[in-house]
Amino acid sequence: MAELQKDPVTRAQFIVMGTVGTLVGAVLTIPPVAFMLSPTIKTNFLGQSDVPDDWHELGSVFEVPSGTPKLYRVEFPQNQTYNGEDPLLGKGTIMNAVLVSWMDGEIPSALENASQGGLSASQIEELTSQLNVMSNHCAHLGCPVRWFPDRDEFLCPCHGGIYDINGGLIGGPPPQGLYYYAFEIREDGGIYVKHEFTNGEPWVV
Amino acid sequence: MIARIRAWALGVGQAAADWMEVRTGVVSMLEHFLYEPVPKRGMWLYTLGSATLFLIVLQFLTGILLLFYYVPTTDEAWNSIYYIMTEAYFGLLIRGIHFWSANVLIVVVGLHMLRTFFSGAYKAPRELNWVVGVVLILLVTVLAFTGYALRWDAEGFWAWEVGIKIGSYTPFVGSYVATFLLGGDTVGPATLSRVFAIHVWLLPALLAPLIGIHLYLLRKHGEFGSEFEYTKRLAELRERKQIEEYALYEEGDESPRE
Repeated sequence: MAELQKDPVTRAQFIVMGTVGTLVGAVLTIPPVAFMLSPTIKTNFLGQSDVPDDWHELGSVFEVPSGTPKLYRVEFPQNQTYNGEDPLLGKGTIMNAVLVSWMDGEIPSALENASQGGLSASQIEELTSQLNVMSNHCAHLGCPVRWFPDRDEFLCPCHGGIYDINGGLIGGPPPQGLYYYAFEIREDGGIYVKHEFTNGEPWVV
Repeated sequence: MIARIRAWALGVGQAAADWMEVRTGVVSMLEHFLYEPVPKRGMWLYTLGSATLFLIVLQFLTGILLLFYYVPTTDEAWNSIYYIMTEAYFGLLIRGIHFWSANVLIVVVGLHMLRTFFSGAYKAPRELNWVVGVVLILLVTVLAFTGYALRWDAEGFWAWEVGIKIGSYTPFVGSYVATFLLGGDTVGPATLSRVFAIHVWLLPALLAPLIGIHLYLLRKHGEFGSEFEYTKRLAELRERKQIEEYALYEEGDESPRE
């Protein structure tokens, strides 16, 4: 083979061609790939989110009943493609269904002694530790779960995931319990949530 | 009279075909493209590939027509499909063909794969065509799935959500797959744009050349599988043995072996 090669490539030519080839290849591939993957780069590497990092009011701790969860809907502002922060682009929103329940369905003693006028720091701390604020998306494939009062369980209609009132996994294919929102309870008893999850990422919502 | 008209029409047709053949070679090209020997047993099963190709072409044609009305935005996607179904002339028919032929395509492509498997048509030297076929069946499945989401109705939305969730379980790169498909970390306008781009541009752009390669390899190696080849090989073996026996006979051995 070697003797057939009329114009042998010198080391210098090889290095120049290799460098130029790499540069041209990079110029041709990096922009389209980065263009296509920009949401992945922004979300996974830069930690950005489509939803601003703000607290949104859900309701009040005084509304959450014993023995059964309460369903809230919260509309988070969303900045995605056409819904940017620029006023010309307009604002979009994404609706989330949030399930709120007391730990094991029992109203904490701190709430029984509390008045709607104001909660103390210790009461807030106890209530926070006793409140479940969960996404209604099944941890398996994201279908919406429903509360079945006669069974005291959340059931997923798609593949039969079963969760208890705390969102803990009882059975079925889900790899974990329901996703918990980051939340805080304020002095007036208001429950506030962020579009942040403390035990995994449900996606989509 | 009728016989004369028929003869005249035949003559004109022949002349037109000859004219085209001389200038473009299209007649012989079509002959080469349309005719392929297949085993007599189960010969109808060998039409499944052509049926698949026909359905894919139908998808392309009706898909292009639907693009004249479809609006890929979260606010308008479902409305535009409703408009196609209720207001546009023959919209129900065009969309119906797109929808039902997509469903039939999945079945036919599956049967085509089964036929290829059971007739042994994946064996050497057709392994590469089998691999191309597997990639094609995956592309068709993803096309069907993305088409599902484009309706942006409850069913399509939830199906796409399930799809994204399945993608998020990909080992090591699950979260990257999910954010790529979502166009962010939540479902929204970017998600539908991506589904649209994947369904209408990316996947057909991958599908078309792969179909070309699939057909080229089919023409190169033939469609039939092991059964046909086995018969051919047996015939060749018999012929070779016969030649050897005659050679022995000519050399002076007057009792050729059975």
